[in-house]
Parts: sequence; structure tokens; C-alpha cells
Amino acid sequence: MSDLTAPGFPEEEVRRRARAGAAAAFPPPGEYGRVLFGAGDGAEQGGGPRPYGGRDPLDALRITPPVLMPQRLARLIDLGREPGHRDVDLTTALGGFTSALPVYVSALGSTRAAGGDLGLALSRQAGALGLPMVIGENVVPVNGYGRQGEAADRALLGRLRAYAEELPDGRGGVAVQQSTEDADAEVWNLVYSDPAALPLLASGRLAFELKLGQGAKPGLGGMTVLDAEAAARVGDRYGLDDVFGDGRVLRSSTPGTFTAEILRQQIRLMRNNFPRARVWVKLHPGRDVAEAARVAAEAGADAVTVDGAEGGTGWAPEAFPAQVGLPLAECLRRIAAAGPPPCLLVSGRMWEGGRAVKSLALGARAVGLGRAALLATAEDPQAGLIRFAECLALELRMLISALGKYTPEALDRDDVWSPDFPGIPAAG
Amino acid sequence: MTTDGHTAPAAPIPDPGRHLTTPTTRSALRIQHQLLFAAREFLRGRGFTELLPPVIGPVTDPGSRGSKQVDVDFYGHRYKLMTSAILYKQASLLAFDKIFCIAPNVRLEPLETAGTSRHLAEFHQLDVEVAGASRDDVVQLVEELVVHMVDSAVRELPKEFAELGRDTGAFTELLKGSFGRMRHAEAVTELRRLGHPQSPDAELDWDGEALLSAQRDRPFFVTDYPKGSRGFYDRECPEQPGLLRNFDLIAAEGYGELCSGSQRTNDYAEIVTRMRETGENPQKYRWYLDLVREGVPGSAGFGIGVERLTRYVAGLDGVWQASAFPKLAGVVSP
Repeated sequence: MSDLTAPGFPEEEVRRRARAGAAAAFPPPGEYGRVLFGAGDGAEQGGGPRPYGGRDPLDALRITPPVLMPQRLARLIDLGREPGHRDVDLTTALGGFTSALPVYVSALGSTRAAGGDLGLALSRQAGALGLPMVIGENVVPVNGYGRQGEAADRALLGRLRAYAEELPDGRGGVAVQQSTEDADAEVWNLVYSDPAALPLLASGRLAFELKLGQGAKPGLGGMTVLDAEAAARVGDRYGLDDVFGDGRVLRSSTPGTFTAEILRQQIRLMRNNFPRARVWVKLHPGRDVAEAARVAAEAGADAVTVDGAEGGTGWAPEAFPAQVGLPLAECLRRIAAAGPPPCLLVSGRMWEGGRAVKSLALGARAVGLGRAALLATAEDPQAGLIRFAECLALELRMLISALGKYTPEALDRDDVWSPDFPGIPAAG
Repeated sequence: MTTDGHTAPAAPIPDPGRHLTTPTTRSALRIQHQLLFAAREFLRGRGFTELLPPVIGPVTDPGSRGSKQVDVDFYGHRYKLMTSAILYKQASLLAFDKIFCIAPNVRLEPLETAGTSRHLAEFHQLDVEVAGASRDDVVQLVEELVVHMVDSAVRELPKEFAELGRDTGAFTELLKGSFGRMRHAEAVTELRRLGHPQSPDAELDWDGEALLSAQRDRPFFVTDYPKGSRGFYDRECPEQPGLLRNFDLIAAEGYGELCSGSQRTNDYAEIVTRMRETGENPQKYRWYLDLVREGVPGSAGFGIGVERLTRYVAGLDGVWQASAFPKLAGVVSP
């Protein structure tokens, strides 16, 4: 340690890299499984895209109720009395499913934070709420399916059962992701032919989600930190990097190679091979996100999900959440300009009604809860997510009714304003 | 919401003792025996070599709609039971220009297939592959082969057909050859005209096949399926991108598909790209890709579903009746 200093330069970061080597590209490995990474609100150091005056551009928008409200008059005539926020109907058709709210629960993959009882408790509560839920990639190759003796709490089947047991008739649905490595384990074929998934399949509440990427690490595949024993078990299927030097290793999935033709044909193959399942496609916030969304929709995807650069994750190299990918608001602007897919789902730092309403106003059909759903479940495994959703639903009703509207799909771009966000007209 | 409509549970399979001793089973299996005898006779006469196909391998054919492969623990390595012999058929052409095999296949089909009368989880294919052949060459070959097989069974086994109550007059048109041909796009148009909502981007669904099949008095070929409905090994038409140089042979009288085949892709870069288009991970096909990179002959070939052909020829209600030990999706049986 010398007495050399460099005021104004990220000296400590450089010194950390000099001490730790490649491990310094990541958060401290001790935080894995306990900390949910991803963008902050822009006020703190090191997190998230914030080119708009230092704030997340979606957060920087304002929701702008009009004074004169013809849609409120229509609702008044319909009801025969003055409408209030309780008259907002939040029921939303999304990706072939029907949800109680314009909300779904985002992918929970094989990361330790979503494993064990927490993943099961979350699945149960999402089911009870009638919210569609995505089960993330790599669960089967890493944790197993749950049919032949793997620990049921971690395996895919455990989450599927926990969810389906609580699910009210006619609501919700499960979307199962499949990564390149999952394709080797034939996750979709497995679920499609499993008796446990039959009730969901028979009632049209099973979807398969083709994952092209995620917001927190666009261009990379899924990543987790494994101990030596777990790593040895999956080493023939995944890339392993011994970057931490403490026995734990970084396990990386390949992101998969896509061109427009590969995306188009994979979707067609999904529709051909699994005609009774819905097809969802998840995109990272790439610069060509509007083009990819168009290809997916034209090939017949029932839903296109865009995970903005604010999206959370179990684990990512620090450079990615901080500096890689388009902010969700910019994705929404580009997609709206190019002509949006029939059902656009978005995620990225969703947790309260305002951000959700702004996303819906900019063209999304529903918003995904990732970190918020895990935290709410961690707060109370019995009813944390249920109470969280109750609060979110009330906020949504109040905000939507304040705009003189009574369904989420009635929201449009006039409902938000920003002095500097390109493409959003300043409402009169 | 379903496009297949077959969700009713299948008729229960009788216990093996009863199944094997019924006159229907015996007659069906004798017809199957004669069909295979005739196939061997025909193919040997044309210079084909019969090979014994592998049962397990590190990788198998991914191109079967919705079904799951069976994993086998091979000394700590994950192997698969064969879902079809396709990869080995192409490789075998390094030894012989014309090969055939009668290959067992296992596909854990979706549960609703238990009620289609035409799916077995375990079945056999009469697999044929010809180096240097085009799609149209093997379409001609399969037509002559099927005519020979059916002709042989009808001539040799009149008592069995009588026992089954199968009127062999049903094959009068078949035995003349000249099976009809229609392109997939034409099949889609015809099905839509009949009020069936067939997707133009997908394989003909089971109801659609049965509908077309019921309109005809002899088997017919459907050719030029769209990419996205088939495996990576079917060759894409260079002059019509998006269409494949492949075919299905579909039986008359509503019995549905009997045989699938194609001209094969043997170009390494094209195969890797097509693997991605079908959602496959090229890494697991290493032995096959290494072989293709060194060079395998261009070829065309097909696989005839032995139990399906038997069902059609014998006029059976369900394909399981054409198997001595039938396995239906989700049904536990010996």
C-alpha cells in the first residue's frame, strides 16, 4: 500500500480491483442469495440508467389528470351515479391469461434468493391473488424437476403445484421459461406432458416463455454463484469461472444466439410443438428492442415482455446494471413509435402504482413484479405479497380514476408528461 | 383453444394375456409380419443394406412435436433412448449408399395423444436413407415400397383380412400407385375451405390430417412443409426460403400420417443455424456436427411408422392394436 492518491478518480475501486482481481467485477460474493441486485432510483451511487437529469426517466414523468373528463361522464351514465376509484375494473387480459390486476410476477430462476421456502411461498400467494407467474430458466438443470426425488421446494414442479393449488378458477396462469441449457433438459416437453401441469394446460393457463435476455445484464445469460459441490454437479452443462478464489464459482448460462429468422422460427416451432400452450417472449432492453418485439408478435407470440435496464436480478457484474441497456421508458418510446405488439408486458423496478400507471400509459398491458414480489414475500411468507398487492391495487384504482378512466387499457400517452422526455407530447 | 381436440381418455388396453390371444391381435401382427417381410424383400432387391440401429446415444432426434425424450444414465453420462434414427441414418451413409433399418423409438408423447388412436409412446419405424437422392426420388421410392408391401399382404393373407373384416377392395386405388401430391400450402387452403382452422406455419394438426385423409381413396403426399414445423435436418428450398424439401405420406380413409421424410441438410453452417432456429443447443450434437464438418453425403430418406401402416392396412380402430405390447401416453402397461 503506497501513499499515492488520485483525488476525483475512483481510487478505491481501482485499489479493490488490484487486490481482488476478476472478483472485483462483481458485488462481494457474500451478498449472493441475500441481496437482490438491479437499478436503484438514481439518487444513490452506482445503480441504474439515469440520463434524464439524474433520475430514472420513468420516475421523472408526471401523471397528468385532465380537468374535463368525457370518459368519466360515460362511466357516470353507465352507473347512474358519480363514479369513484372503487369503480375501476383492474381485470386484465394478458398473454392469453386473465389477471386480477394489470400485474404479473416476473421470472424467478435458479438463483438462491428465490429458492427454498421463499419461492414456494411466493408461488402460493401469486396463485391466491390470481396473478400470472413466470418460472425462470435453469430451475430444472440446477434444482431438478421434482418428479424423481429432487427437493420439491426448489424444483420446478414444487412451484407449479404451490401456485396451482391456490389458483382461483379463470384467473392467472404460469409461463415457464426455457434457456439453452433448459432445452437440453427439455423443460417445455417435460411440463407439457406432465400430469401435474394438465389442469393448467386444459384450462388454457400454461404458457412457455422464450427468454432472449434480461434487463439487468443485457447480452449475457443467467448467472448464479455456486459452491464447489453444486458446481461439480452442473459443470458439464454450464460455463464455470473460478473468479472468487474462495471455492465458490460463477456459473453462467449462455445467452443464446438470435437473429430475426432464428427468433421467428423458434416461436413457430413452439406454436407447432405445443399448440395448447401460450407463447411468451422476453426481451432485454436492446437497441433493436422494437424490431425484436415486432418479429416476435408477427411470428405469433401471445405476449412480448420487455425487461428494462432497471430490472433486478440475483446476480450480475456491476458494470451491467449501471451502464448497459436502454431504460424502460426509452424501450416503451421506441416500441410505441414502431407499432407495439398486441400484448406488451414490461418490468424493471416496479413496486408502486405510479410507475405502473406510467408504463401502462406508454403502451404496456401489464407490469411485472420481480424484486418487489420477493421482498414482500420475505417480509411475510404467509400474506406479504397479498397485502402488497392490495396496496398496489388501491393505488392503481386511485391513479386511474383520477385520470377520469376506469380500466387500465384506457390509459394512453396523454396521461403522462415530461419536459424533456422525447416523444411524449406535453398534454394541454 | 385446443387445436387438436383429442382430450378424451383412450379405451383401456386389455391385459397382455387377453390382448395377445385375441384373433384381432393375431391377425394384425401377421399382417405386420408380412408387411415387414415384403419391405425387406423390396429393399434388398433394390440394393439396400439392412443395419441394426442403436437404441441409446448421447443425443437423438429433437424434431417430434411436443414429446419428451427418455434419459438414460450411461455410466454417469446422460444418454437418450432414440426418438428416431435420423442422425445415425445420415452417418451410416459413410459405409453404404443405401441403407434401411427397422428401428424402435420411444417418445413420451403429450397426454392428450392417448386418445388420438394413432400415437404410441413406443413404436417402430421402417427407416430408409439414400445417398445422393432428392426428395422426389424418395417420394417415388416410398410409393413403390408401400404398394409392394400392401400388395404382398393382400395376396398372401386373405384369411387374416377376412378375420378382421377388412375389405381389401379399400386398396384397389392404392395398388395402382400414383399417390396424389399436394403442397402444404394447398393442404392449408383445402382445410380452411372445409372450415378447419389450420395454421399456415405449422404441421397439419391431427384433426386436419384426418380430415384430408377422409376425403381420399388412396394415400397421398403432402410436401413442402414450412420451416418451424420440422427438425433441423430437413433441407430448405434454396429457391423458396422458408419451405422445406420434405413430405408426409398420409393414408386414405381418415387413418392419418403414415410416413415422414425429406431431403437432408448436410451443410455444417446451415445445420448449426437451423439447430438454433429449432431451439437446440449445438453443443450436445458434437459427434454429429464433427461428422458433418468432415463431410457426410447429401441424402434423402424417410421413416414409415410400422404400427401406423399396420393399423391402416388391417383397418384397426387404434394403433395400439398393431403392437404386441402397446404403450400409450400416461398409461402404465407392460
